[in-house]
Amino acid sequence: MNRNLYQPFGCEIVDIIDESATIKSFVVVPEGDFKFETGQFVELTLPGEGEAPFTPSSSPAVTDKMEITIMKAGSVTNLLHQCTKGQKVGIRGPFGNGYPIEDFVGKEVYIVGGGVGLAPIRSLFLTLVDRIGDFKSVVCRYGVRRPEDFIYKKALFGQWQRIDGVDIKLTVDEADGEWKDNVGVVTTILSKDDVDVNSAAAVVCGPPVMMKYATLKLLEFGFSPERIYLSMEKNMSCGVGKCGHCMIGKYYVCKDGPVFTYEQIKGYPKIWD
Amino acid sequence: METVFISNLKAFLDIAAEEMELYVPERSGERFIYNRYDSSGRKQVDFNNIRAGTSVKEFLFPVRELASVTPGRFEPDELRPFAVFGLQQCDIRSMSILDKVFIEEEFEDRLYTARRKKMFIISTDCTEPGESCFCNLFDGRGFVESGFDLNVSEIKDGFIIETGSSKGKDFVDRHSELFGEVPAVLLSLRDKNRAGTQKQLEQQNAELRFDRTIREIVESSQEAEVYDEEAEKCIECQACTRVCPTCHCFYLYDEKRKDYFTKMKMWDSCMRYGYAAVAGGANPRKTLGDRLKHRLLHKFVYFMDRYGIEMCVGCGRCVDADAGGIDLRQVLKELSEKAKSQAYPLQGDKPAKGG
Repeated sequence: MNRNLYQPFGCEIVDIIDESATIKSFVVVPEGDFKFETGQFVELTLPGEGEAPFTPSSSPAVTDKMEITIMKAGSVTNLLHQCTKGQKVGIRGPFGNGYPIEDFVGKEVYIVGGGVGLAPIRSLFLTLVDRIGDFKSVVCRYGVRRPEDFIYKKALFGQWQRIDGVDIKLTVDEADGEWKDNVGVVTTILSKDDVDVNSAAAVVCGPPVMMKYATLKLLEFGFSPERIYLSMEKNMSCGVGKCGHCMIGKYYVCKDGPVFTYEQIKGYPKIWD
Repeated sequence: METVFISNLKAFLDIAAEEMELYVPERSGERFIYNRYDSSGRKQVDFNNIRAGTSVKEFLFPVRELASVTPGRFEPDELRPFAVFGLQQCDIRSMSILDKVFIEEEFEDRLYTARRKKMFIISTDCTEPGESCFCNLFDGRGFVESGFDLNVSEIKDGFIIETGSSKGKDFVDRHSELFGEVPAVLLSLRDKNRAGTQKQLEQQNAELRFDRTIREIVESSQEAEVYDEEAEKCIECQACTRVCPTCHCFYLYDEKRKDYFTKMKMWDSCMRYGYAAVAGGANPRKTLGDRLKHRLLHKFVYFMDRYGIEMCVGCGRCVDADAGGIDLRQVLKELSEKAKSQAYPLQGDKPAKGG
């Protein structure tokens, strides 16, 4: 018999990492045997307060704990930011379909991210670099508003840049005195020559407006809509394709996504709003 | 299928109420609402010749229910069997629609199935469809042929009871002393009554004969200003989605109790402003017109794409309930006219829109 879909199981916060002024990563240890695929999401419950959806930012290969990176955006995330080490929360999931890693094998993977969108991308990135030889290359273009908004700074500016087969470029919307690199939204560091647009798989994750313009740019470069993978953010409550909040056309983002190809959803109204 | 005759409805209901919690429709103003059956005889049982004002979903998917507890875990209790008398063809069809959502194999909603399994369905024939009824657009004919345990047709001097399941047949067999044989003349009278209902439905909805399927009409009229114009009447009361027997949106919310925590499951409405808004502030359907359009697209296009059936049974409850005066039949008529006059291509033929 199936278990009750709405019953969270226990989960302990074992560490908290400050990433930026509004973003923290929570290292959690779920009870029992918890496995997920990169790109899938979980519903995190703060008992008595509320529940919100997050895509884990750690590699699925790490099974004894999981990292969830959370930006303060609403009532539940504000309260989560006040949590302390040792606190118990609830977790449901994992839900939905993640990134189709096997479809990326032998190809260049072109990752375009913005803001806290780097959280799901980090999980994908770690999954890819674990078997980097299986992919032609991993090309990452990532932007944030200001230099202090970068998350996973240590890895992003150090270790990740040194991995063979990985090419990372970063940008900020507004520079400060220290910033020597590109200034401009993420589309300003995308180039037709970054990857072979006829074969590469593009992955886009970030705030809706950034996803919209990045997708349009990729289409302009000649990417076919079937090879643009989008991590869609919608209001999600049940996680199992019933409650209706997250619908994009006939799809439930929670169950059929959250990763979709642009081809799947391009005909439906208001996908970026 | 087996038919038997009974002249005394009360005797039948008394027996059913001995075995199960029984709910029956009671007349309240111009409509019927469900109440627990009272076998004392103080209340007269009203045989409902039209669907009740409230929908069957309330028995399977209550307005608000417990979904989980923390710490510990909540698995839906074994409920006592219960019976609902007076459900009609539109109700039975709406249950088959809800079943598709809540009894999907890997995602079975046990809050729903716990009730569904324990429900004994006693349907009745609709012989007096209301002014707002338009079930004939969705294969409705005012009587059921499947999906029930027992069906009751009011007939001269009594009632014909038909069995529709092994549970229903067992019930009749167990209480065979109550029932008699159905005279053939009464069966043909029942057929005549049923044909009368169908004729009435066809007559009153003669104007709703469209040259395309409703799905095509709704899918091809997405740019129509009809939605914005109709939405001007909407006062966002959400009554349409509440009385609808197929609308099933809900949300989960958390509560503190004395020494534990709960997650509750409560009805929601896609007509509500913040329904699809995310914490970051984005809201894909800020206007009432966009929400009304989404409601129709879900009912007639998206649900059809997913489950092969419209998410509407034509019961007309939303027409009766709408405080602002939006009439789904009128909206469909206007969209059909638009589709005709502007020859909108089907959505699949349109170029993709970037935003």
